[in-house]
Amino acid sequence: MSDATKLPLCLPEHLRRPQRRAKRHGIVALAILGAVLAGAVLLPDGALSVNAATRAQPPQPAHLMGTDLLGRDIAARTLAALAQSVQVGLLAAGASTIMAVVLGLAATFGRMADHVVGLLTELALGLPHFVLLIMIAFAMGGGTAGVVVAVALTHWPRLARVLRHEAQTIAASDYVAISRALGRSRLWVARHHLAQPLVPQIVAGFIVIFPHAILHEAGLSFIGLGIEPHLPSIGVMLSESLREIMAGHWWVAAAPGLGLMLVALTFERFGEALRQLSNPAGEEA
Amino acid sequence: MFRPLSTMAIALSLMLPVQADARPLVLAIGGEPDGGFDPIMGWGHYGNPLFQSTLLRYDAGLNLIGDLAEDWILSEDGLVWQLRLRGDAMFSDGTPLTAEDVAFTYNTARAAGGLADLTVLKEARALDATTVELELTEPRITFVSRLATLGIVPAASYGSDYARYPVGSGPFKMVEWREGEQLVVEPNPHWHGGAIAFERVSFVFGSEEAGQALARTGTADLVAVPPSLADAAPSGMKVLHVDTVDNRGLAFPMVFRTGGTTAAGTPIGNDVTADRAIRVAINQALDREALVALALNGHGRPATGPADGLPWDNPEAAIPGNDPAAAMETLETGGWTDTDGDGIREKDGLRAAFQVLYPASDSTRQALALGASDQLREIGIDAQPSGSSWDEIGALMHSEVVVLGWGAHDPSEIFYLHHGDYAGVDYYNTGHYANPTVDAHLEAAEAAPSFDASLAEWKAAAWDGETGFSLKGDATWAWMVNLDHSYWVSDCLDLGPLQVHPHGHGFPITHDLPSWRWTCE
Amino acid sequence: MKAWLPALLAGRLIRLAWLLPLAAVGLFTLISLAPIDPVQAYVGGRTSQIGPEQRDAIAAAWGLDRPAVERFANWLGQLARGDLGQSITFNAPVMQVIAARLPASLALIGLAFVLSFVLGTALGLVAGATRGRWPDRVIRTIAVVMAASPGFWVAILLVAFFAVGLGWLPACCATPPGQLAAEVTLADRWRHMVLPVATLSVVGIAPLVLHTRQSLVAFLDSPAARHLSAHGATPLHLAFGPGLRHAAGVALTLHLAGAGELFGGSVLAEAVFAWPGLGQATVRAATGADAPLLMGIGLATLLFVFAGNLLADVAARLADPRLRGPA
Repeated sequence: MSDATKLPLCLPEHLRRPQRRAKRHGIVALAILGAVLAGAVLLPDGALSVNAATRAQPPQPAHLMGTDLLGRDIAARTLAALAQSVQVGLLAAGASTIMAVVLGLAATFGRMADHVVGLLTELALGLPHFVLLIMIAFAMGGGTAGVVVAVALTHWPRLARVLRHEAQTIAASDYVAISRALGRSRLWVARHHLAQPLVPQIVAGFIVIFPHAILHEAGLSFIGLGIEPHLPSIGVMLSESLREIMAGHWWVAAAPGLGLMLVALTFERFGEALRQLSNPAGEEA
Repeated sequence: MFRPLSTMAIALSLMLPVQADARPLVLAIGGEPDGGFDPIMGWGHYGNPLFQSTLLRYDAGLNLIGDLAEDWILSEDGLVWQLRLRGDAMFSDGTPLTAEDVAFTYNTARAAGGLADLTVLKEARALDATTVELELTEPRITFVSRLATLGIVPAASYGSDYARYPVGSGPFKMVEWREGEQLVVEPNPHWHGGAIAFERVSFVFGSEEAGQALARTGTADLVAVPPSLADAAPSGMKVLHVDTVDNRGLAFPMVFRTGGTTAAGTPIGNDVTADRAIRVAINQALDREALVALALNGHGRPATGPADGLPWDNPEAAIPGNDPAAAMETLETGGWTDTDGDGIREKDGLRAAFQVLYPASDSTRQALALGASDQLREIGIDAQPSGSSWDEIGALMHSEVVVLGWGAHDPSEIFYLHHGDYAGVDYYNTGHYANPTVDAHLEAAEAAPSFDASLAEWKAAAWDGETGFSLKGDATWAWMVNLDHSYWVSDCLDLGPLQVHPHGHGFPITHDLPSWRWTCE
Repeated sequence: MKAWLPALLAGRLIRLAWLLPLAAVGLFTLISLAPIDPVQAYVGGRTSQIGPEQRDAIAAAWGLDRPAVERFANWLGQLARGDLGQSITFNAPVMQVIAARLPASLALIGLAFVLSFVLGTALGLVAGATRGRWPDRVIRTIAVVMAASPGFWVAILLVAFFAVGLGWLPACCATPPGQLAAEVTLADRWRHMVLPVATLSVVGIAPLVLHTRQSLVAFLDSPAARHLSAHGATPLHLAFGPGLRHAAGVALTLHLAGAGELFGGSVLAEAVFAWPGLGQATVRAATGADAPLLMGIGLATLLFVFAGNLLADVAARLADPRLRGPA
């Protein structure tokens, strides 16, 4: 009757499915990423400029997502803002991934290192994520650099834990012991036995961090601690939209939020699919 | 001004018995002091201090009149103020206000390290119950603006919780303050200023957006709104645009680039704007009316100085703008000609080009920079608008032109902006302007024997017939516009005559709150 | 039978004993790094009325003219006496600011916690029981979309629709304007809470739905569940009967461990709704360079997260006796 009884019958397909799914989600996510970045570059000159003649117009053929109080086209501004967010997100997620790799692997270098990394993890997880983000962004004086550092310093613990666990499992395995016994250096072992199985994990980790990075970036920019307000960014657009919402201009908030959600969504799905790929049993666990 | 309707309403209201459920007044104009209502820490700078009263106050025409003080004199050497207090002033707890309270307030504020700058005060002394003496360390006439803004607190009960439970001799007493939400006040029965038409006044804080939402549901009677949204007032409310000295202008680097740098290592000087002909031509060319229309949607007025319409403004120092022909003549005479035919003038191989920096987050300043740039291109000056962050502006403001804004009810701003001693200090004299004659006028103004006497010196600093900081003289700035501050006001509310507002939109409108009236039943 | 509880508490308190001082040092270091000039942030728009001498006086009044080590020692000394220092922006003791603003935030967080727990678990169970069919797909899609939506955007949409568009609910604030606290009715308070709580619930709901669904699916695949269904129990019946018992403990554990995130969400929700809570104070403190208040909030939220995790541990052990070994 239920899927539960059918499940074992379709196991071979079930094993193949995650790979195809990951590929499909990956293509969608990268296509959107590419479209955003290319679209922002291809924006015609003056697409972002102020125009007194077209203030606060609802969506219409000339302005698909309407215009704001200064007559700026919201679709164009959203595209530019998304490109900005995506770049900051990629940078921040990349930095965070590097931190996770360094700290995750460092934890395998003896008990002392493991303790220190454990301590840092406790500290990083001890405050609510967003509060810690605010503190770090404040310490950096706000701005794009502040966002990148704040996101990088707060998103590593989960991936670091996974990597530490994997690395310790591998380090304790027979083939590493044999390699060491054969006189291979630590570095050789690390490169051959550690790097290969870990790379997919790292890539998946990066993809999982990325949507969080752009969402948190938008949050910080929204409260004025993120990307400088003169650069187009989703957080700033949404914070500006607040006052227009009260006048009934709903379209001012629609496009930026939708765009951000779309990018975050596709990458979240992609990351999830990748995670299942590297950990097939994990789907139901 | 004769207002038949409001006069009749007041007359009617006097004849009617006081209604138990008189309509409370609800204001959404921001201005919540996070730190509370302690004048010693800086509360009550603009607008009505609500709970406290001050020694002097400005009337709607910005003339000084007495409030707690009945008369006041400044000693010949400009060092000692002696003020005689009215005898009937009482705090809202029913205790009388004496000279001791005044001396206590001034001495405490001087030492407190808050937002009331009394560094020039040496000592405040009570001579008897109604006479107080304030001794300064040096003559400084702008000290009167402290007399008009520092609310007096009771010496007997002032303590660490004063900011949250203020007691004063002002028109209102606090009923409830829910921080971040609203302040509710009621008339102080002991106030010396007369009757107030509202049984209760609520100040709704929260966000600017929240205020607009309240206006649309008819729950707020006065709401501060951004000018760009102002025209669409909800039903039952009218739009009010208040004239201000909340101004915007182009601040010029005044010195040549000689390789000097600030303490932070940023360059000083700009060889183009250091040439007076350039600065004067820019002032002659700018069509300020067009800038008001472009950047402010018409809600503003042209600016020709830092304090247009205030008593210390010198109207003679202004020159009419929108005269490209005169501007081009000035440039020709000054040696700036277009030799290579690219539309931009040169002088000795130097192009008439500079950046115009504006904080890119500020769309008004952006529009001003873009508009000015377009106008200047027509006279052959290449002003390149450049949106930046405040940090970048802070680094470049000594060597490039910046769109800055000022506007205070206090002439010491004129001093800070133009005196050589303030060259490169904070955002004051960013251009490193120094003219000994102007400095002397500014110092003479501060040393004047009375505020009225100082006005002539302030005006002379702008233009004394030969030199000055104004457009006719050294043209240190090209002032462009004064913003309007926009409000939605209930059709039933009469605000009476209004001051020219300072920099800062919102709370300053409450200055004459005790005399506001309902006009309908 | 409850012998595990003291051991767990002791272990966690020891952890807190070293975590707090470390966090204090970390927070102080972080905040001392900030390049923002607190005096300029304090003076703000009053630049023209506060001369350079007064700026120095302000800095001296806050002790900013003394070296960082001395300031830190002072702060630690105060902290040891239970004093978090004086907030610059609010001109009041940090403790008092936090105590005054915490209840408003806790009301939001508490309600959102309960609401998202009930909704998340129920939706997760429905999804698990209808695995593969349309309700499952719809619920999972909603959960994933919610997880990818910025909370403050959801808040703006709610305002646009329910407050501005339909005019059903207030767009801001915790109480109606023009009334004293004593005059505000309970109904009004609830009305003002609806949108902020709804916003905040979105933050916590998605992981709960997916997790509950997975643990129910695992349960439905278990021999016990197959046995029951062979006797005619429908999946929905199983889900809200034994399945709920099976999944609730894990769900509660997960939800408690994530409670700290609700505070993060409330910072943004309070910004949109002008809610007078601690989240708003956090933003003011950060934009006003109010270091003592920021550090106080940091430590307070640390305790908040700690308490959430501790309760999660307790819940996990209550739900699963196997975990009650030495912690």
